[in-house]
Amino acid sequence: MDHTPLSESWIKRINVLQLVLAGILIMSPTAWMVLSSFKPSFEVTAYPPTLIFSPTVENYSQLMETTPFFSYAINSMIVTLGSAGLGLLFGIPAAFAVSWTRISWPAVLTLAARMAPGTLFLLPWYMMFREVGMIGSYAALILSHAVITLPIVIWVLLPSFDNIPRSIFEAAQVDGCSVTRILWKIAMPLVGSGIAVAAILSFVFSWNYFLFALVLSNGDSKTLIAAAFNFVGEGSTQWGALMAAATLIALPPLVLAAIVQRWLVSGLTLGAVKG
Amino acid sequence: MAAISIRNLVKRYGNFTVVPDLSLEIADQEFVVFVGPSGCGKSTLLRIIAGLEPITSGELLIGDKRVNGVPAAQRDIAMVFQDYALYPHMRVYDNMAFALELRGMPKPEIDARVRQAAAMLHIEAYLDRKPKELSGGQRQRVAMGRAIVRNPQVFLFDEPLSNLDAKLRAQVRAEIKSLSLQLRTTMVFVTHDQIEAMTMADRIVVLQNGIVQQYDTPEVVYERPANQFVAGFIGSPTMNFFPVELRGDAAAFEHDGAPVPLDAAARARLRGAAGKAVLGIRPEHFDVVSGVEGSAIPVVIKLVEPLGSDTLIHFDVAGTAAIARVDPAMKPKVGERLSLLPQPDKIHLFDAATGEVLR
Repeated sequence: MDHTPLSESWIKRINVLQLVLAGILIMSPTAWMVLSSFKPSFEVTAYPPTLIFSPTVENYSQLMETTPFFSYAINSMIVTLGSAGLGLLFGIPAAFAVSWTRISWPAVLTLAARMAPGTLFLLPWYMMFREVGMIGSYAALILSHAVITLPIVIWVLLPSFDNIPRSIFEAAQVDGCSVTRILWKIAMPLVGSGIAVAAILSFVFSWNYFLFALVLSNGDSKTLIAAAFNFVGEGSTQWGALMAAATLIALPPLVLAAIVQRWLVSGLTLGAVKG
Repeated sequence: MAAISIRNLVKRYGNFTVVPDLSLEIADQEFVVFVGPSGCGKSTLLRIIAGLEPITSGELLIGDKRVNGVPAAQRDIAMVFQDYALYPHMRVYDNMAFALELRGMPKPEIDARVRQAAAMLHIEAYLDRKPKELSGGQRQRVAMGRAIVRNPQVFLFDEPLSNLDAKLRAQVRAEIKSLSLQLRTTMVFVTHDQIEAMTMADRIVVLQNGIVQQYDTPEVVYERPANQFVAGFIGSPTMNFFPVELRGDAAAFEHDGAPVPLDAAARARLRGAAGKAVLGIRPEHFDVVSGVEGSAIPVVIKLVEPLGSDTLIHFDVAGTAAIARVDPAMKPKVGERLSLLPQPDKIHLFDAATGEVLR
């Protein structure tokens, strides 16, 4: 029996070790990226990498001077907000309908669409959008990104809707509510945190999605992430500026992810504490 | 206010029949209680009246209007749910005002109705609270308030007391009863608790397997149960049942042939049923006779349960466990020998095969 405390302390140590390893694995590229973006350009590719350096924003000013960074950022914002909005507009009623009718195949279908490789859609879309002259338009990008956002919205909200006691909807029916009104007046206010989580996840995934924007946009409508790809190899690669761009691109999703993690937990436990 | 007519109603879920063929008339302003064991179809029936379950076949009329296929929202009924089903994100006031707002009622009238109902239910102090800030009993009142403000044609209650503790349940039970006298609206109340059924109903519907076993006033259901199921379901402790038969001209327990004190009328009913029947006696319908009387049933007390107002004694008769309700002043003791005599006008005889009462 007296060896138990020893083994418990070992378990603790192993846990800490695991966390540290996972932390290194996840954080080191990010740290590398952020640190590099503040290094003088000649030190970015230095080997062995320098750990002590005098930080500079030289890479950032170079990025702003040599690329239309802000207009790409606006493109990204338009596409991301548009597709997240579109996803919410159709995903909220869709999730509610699936939860209400307990007919689940439409939700499964959207999930399958999400799991399929993006290249599956890419070619037909390219042909279709080219046919109607939509290549390079925001609409084409927003529509294509809705394939990312719609399943997220549906699958985040489905359990939230399912968690609302059925009798609350029935009470609303007896009170004289139509199904549309029940969604608007009863169900949506009750899954507020779920909607927030769905919106933020949609934003993050759409913001980060690379493939569709690469093919379906043109020079004017490129999103940040697709544009950043072009920074590589335009003449000589400016690694420092690229690191600065990557840092800036990663910033909104990281901030939103930090916000969402709190809500994600509360969103998941909401159903357990019934009013 | 409206009467409810159910005509040849059938309800199936796939191949599973919940209600095989049910007809029922509920009069205007009547308080009817559906009672029965779980799975008897009482809640399904209530939900059908509410419009929350579709009808497989048959007819349902509220008022004079056929409402088959009419959505719940358009039936002008109000329902109190077992879990109260209050809107968690709305204040008590808004919970009660919601249905009226949906109907586009002017704000001052909504306000007047909500406050009147709140006063009636003594919940004025909680109008600004959210449901989660209320106790179970308070939520129950809000759920009733939400129904009352509507001034609907019919009130439906789906086991609304089952989540309350025993003391509160008795209190709310009486309140609902007095409310029903005040409001004079048709009310249908579902419960599995026969005491709620007895105390509140104008008429009781006893259901088993989706079939109406008896539909009558509480007094009649208690005093003249239509069959052995009703007899056993209504009344607490439950009625004692003993298989009996005629041996020659005398009645005897089938188990051991010991004589049963039945009068000539009862023996005639027994003879009508080919000499075999089930004898039913409620625990409160035994007379204790002193000493050994020829016709009385001799018993040995196995267990004593003092309830204060009465005392229950447990014993075996003819191989069957039985209970009698006696005067506490008797101070019965375990192991004591007694002689019990069933009150002749209070005995029940049921057909041994069908359970139907022998008249």
